[in-house]
This record gives sequence, structure tokens and C-alpha cells, in this order.
Amino acid sequence: MNDQLIALFITFILVAIIVVIGFMSGRDKKVRSSVEEWSVGGRNFGGLLVWFLVGADLYTAYTFLGLTSSAYTSGSLIFFAIPYSILAYFISYFFLPKLWAVAKEYRFTTLADYARGRFDSKLLSALIAIVGVLMLIPYICLQLSGLQDTLQVAGKGYINVQVIVIVSFLLVGLYTFFSGIKGPTYTAIIKDILVWAIMLFMIVSLPMIHFNGWNPMISHITKEAPQLLTIPSSGPKAFPWFITSAIVSALALFMWAHAATGVFTAKSANAIRKNAMFLPLYNIILTLVIFLGFIAYMVLPKGTNPRFALLELIHMSYGGVAQGLAYATIALASLIPCSIMAVGASNLFANNIYRDLINPSVNGARLTMITRCMVFVVIGLALLFGIFFPTALVSLQLLGVAGMVQIFPAIVFSLFWKKQTREATIAGLVVGVIVTFSMYFAGKSFGINEGFWGLVSNIVILLLLNPFFSKRAGTNAIKQFLFQK
Amino acid sequence: MRKVLLIILIALPIISQLIALPFVNSIHPIIVGLPFFHFWLVLWIFLTPLCTWGIYALQKAEGSID
Repeated sequence: MNDQLIALFITFILVAIIVVIGFMSGRDKKVRSSVEEWSVGGRNFGGLLVWFLVGADLYTAYTFLGLTSSAYTSGSLIFFAIPYSILAYFISYFFLPKLWAVAKEYRFTTLADYARGRFDSKLLSALIAIVGVLMLIPYICLQLSGLQDTLQVAGKGYINVQVIVIVSFLLVGLYTFFSGIKGPTYTAIIKDILVWAIMLFMIVSLPMIHFNGWNPMISHITKEAPQLLTIPSSGPKAFPWFITSAIVSALALFMWAHAATGVFTAKSANAIRKNAMFLPLYNIILTLVIFLGFIAYMVLPKGTNPRFALLELIHMSYGGVAQGLAYATIALASLIPCSIMAVGASNLFANNIYRDLINPSVNGARLTMITRCMVFVVIGLALLFGIFFPTALVSLQLLGVAGMVQIFPAIVFSLFWKKQTREATIAGLVVGVIVTFSMYFAGKSFGINEGFWGLVSNIVILLLLNPFFSKRAGTNAIKQFLFQK
Repeated sequence: MRKVLLIILIALPIISQLIALPFVNSIHPIIVGLPFFHFWLVLWIFLTPLCTWGIYALQKAEGSID
């Protein structure tokens, strides 16, 4: 058997194991007995399990392929991902425990549920859900194209890539339908361990193979391509862009439906606090991945498609078993987050768009079934999207972050600001989204992240309009829960 | 005193990773094999959890979390 086939074989075996475990996690019927069980695991995950789940959630195939290809094309600018993800967890320490507590008390399973309760507004809940689902579908689609790219390099000439991608995602959809959040949680542990092992292996062995060690590599890059290592001091993307992108992404991180789902599975506020402390350590991986992109820049022939930078680098340097394990890891990093994202998006769809807007009187069992079936709708939409707009993906993901951050005032400010009103919040959200999108499509953002302009206008509108409505605003149980102390 | 310490611990990660960045944007000196800019970012991967832990410990001593 040749090297290429061995690698392909290992990839298939590992993916098959994950699918089987995904189904086995749902043996107990209880996991699909209610929306709360199916989507947030009955809220009884301990600190370590949440760590794995959130880690699995946020460090995806797109992280690995996207970061290396950005490092390959634009150098250190991509390092904004490091302050972004460190600050995201740091900031989360101050609001997630409170959000978790109110969600547990009132059995909320999505952020939109919380907004509906806090502001007595189904309109706001539906708006948040629509933004959430619209931004998440391209993201799911990116996972899908991550798998597709991996198979394309792995199985050159042996397999029909498109068929296998569709089959894999249907299998993931099925086990998610069956096991809910329990499916990705147990498989996430395997994926995370593989990710750490493979990344450490690559970052030690690749500099050895190509430069005789780490230090010679750094001095080589310093000499040959110093522009990779520092942020440009002028140009369309310099420090103002770097810093505002880090801020916007940090605030947006836990606004994503899949991240919120991960947080709501926690069994105590302290499990969340511990995660806020320890999750920054996960970013060591990010740093390593970005350096892999620099290695790719130095050793791959000029003209390599940046999208395949990491895959080609692995292919060129290893072959055989190591290549198989690395590709399998990337494949898992695409399938498992996809499952968590599908849970988050389905839940928004069913609870906050279907129930809040269309059929408020739906009963619990039916709602649970609709939520679970939505998995196939969400994954199906992502597949269609990927087939019809394959090139729009990466830019849409960046736009997604800028869009997601617009719900930050609705979700987080409202935990601390008693007088915040529904009318002003809705106006802010709508203006924020419009500003972000018009800047994006006009292609002019004056060297600053589009989402930042959107967020600033969002907050300004909120502050300006709020006094006009705050006198009329009544109270409700959730406000009392938040502000009685 | 506690309050001052709390404010410092909250401010440090934010200042170090947003405001300070234009001032650490250089390749030299290379420390533990990393260009200075990257060394600085990696350093805060380890220091930020310590700040968060410090805040947690302070709040716990105060009794402001359950």
C-alpha cells in the first residue's frame, strides 16, 4: 500500500470511530427528552468537560486552515487572533457567570431566550436569533469546506470528494439529531487530545526537517522575510485595524450560538469562572498554528494556493502515518464543531424564530422534535451555500464576527444596566447591523474593523434613545432576579 | 487597597494586549526563540490567567461571589 493510501485509510478509520462514539453517546433516551437535555445536556457538565466542549467549539478546521493561510498571505496581522482570544475569555469572566445563573433559573437555552425574558420582547428575541442563524450558516459551511479541502489533498484520484463530504455531514447530522450535545462533547475530548498532540509534533518536527531546528528557522525568517514578523505601521490594515479587530472579535466570541450553548452546559457558575481562567492557555495552539503558516511561506513553492498551505506543507513533509493522523485531526476539527454549531443554530431556529414568531402555543414534546429536525435544515442550508457560493466563505466569516458583536449590548449591557429598555436596544441593534454591512459592502472602513464602527453606532443610539423610554419601562421577574441584590 | 489591586488586575491584560502593542512591535530582542512581538503575546497567554485568578481570589476573600 502506498503512502497516500495509508494516510487516507487512517483518516477514514478515525472519522468512523468518531461517528460511532457520537451515536453511542445517545444510548440513554434521556438525552433527547427535552430541549434542555438535548441542547445543553441538562446543565450538568463539570469544569473540565466545558473546557473541552468550548475548546472543541472554537478551535475548528477553519482555525487551522484559515490561520495558516492568512499567516501565509498577510504575515503577522493574523496574530490579532491571540489578543482577541485571550481577552475574550478574560472579559467573559465578568459576565458569563451572571448570564449562566439567570439562564439556569429561568431555563433559557439560547441568548435570544434571555433577551426575550429580560426585555419582554419576542421581536428582539427573533432579531437576535435571525442574526445568529444567518451568521452561523456560513461558519458551518466553512467547516464543510475545510473537510472538502482536506479530502481533496488526501484522496487525490482515489475518491469522489463531494459525495464523501455530503455523506460525512449527513452522518454528523444524524448523530446530532440522535445524541444532541452529548455527541460532540465526548468526541470533543478525543479531538482536543489529537489536536494538541499533532500540533506539538508538527511544531517540533517541521523546523527540524526544513531548517535544522527552531532557532535557525527564526533567524532564517528574520533575514529572508522580516515583513512576516511585525505589524505594518501604515497601509489599509495597520494597528488601528489590528486592535479594533481584536476588540470586536473578543466581544463577539460568546455571542455565537455555539459558544453560548457550550457555556449553558456548565453545572455551576464556578465551572465557568475556572474556564475563563484556563481557556487562554488553549491559545498556545493558535500561536503554533500561525508559525506553521510562516514555515509554509518559507518552504512551499511560490504560487501555492494559500487555502491549501497547511495541507500541502503536511503532505510535503510527512506522508504516510503522520500525514494520515494530521489530516484526520483536521477532518475531526471540521465535523465536531459543525455538530455543536448545528445544535446552537437549530435551537435558535426552533425556539426563537418558530416558537416566538410563528407558533407560540407549541407544546414541549413537539418543540423538542422540531429543534432536533432543524439540524438537517441547518446542515442542508450550509451544504447548499457551500455549493453555490464557494468563494464567498472566508470574507463572510469575517463579516459574521462583525455582525455577531452587535448583539453584545442587548445581552451583556442588560445584565448590569437596570434601566436599559427594549426600544432603545432594538434600535441600536438594527442600526449597528446596518452600519456594519454598509461599510462592508461599500468597501470603506478607514483602516478600522467594520464591526467596530457598527458597535460604536449601536451603543450611541442606545444611549441617546434610552432616556425617552426608561420612564415607561415596567419590571419583571428577570429584572428582579438580576437587580435585587 | 483591595480595590486598587482589583483595578490593576483588570487593566493589565487590556493595556498589555491592546494599547501596548504598537510599542512592542519589533523583532529584536529575540527571547526564548521568539521575536519580541510574539514573545510578548505568548507571555500574556500565561499572565492573563494569573490576573483572572487574582481577581477571583480577591472577590472570594471579599465574599462577593457565592
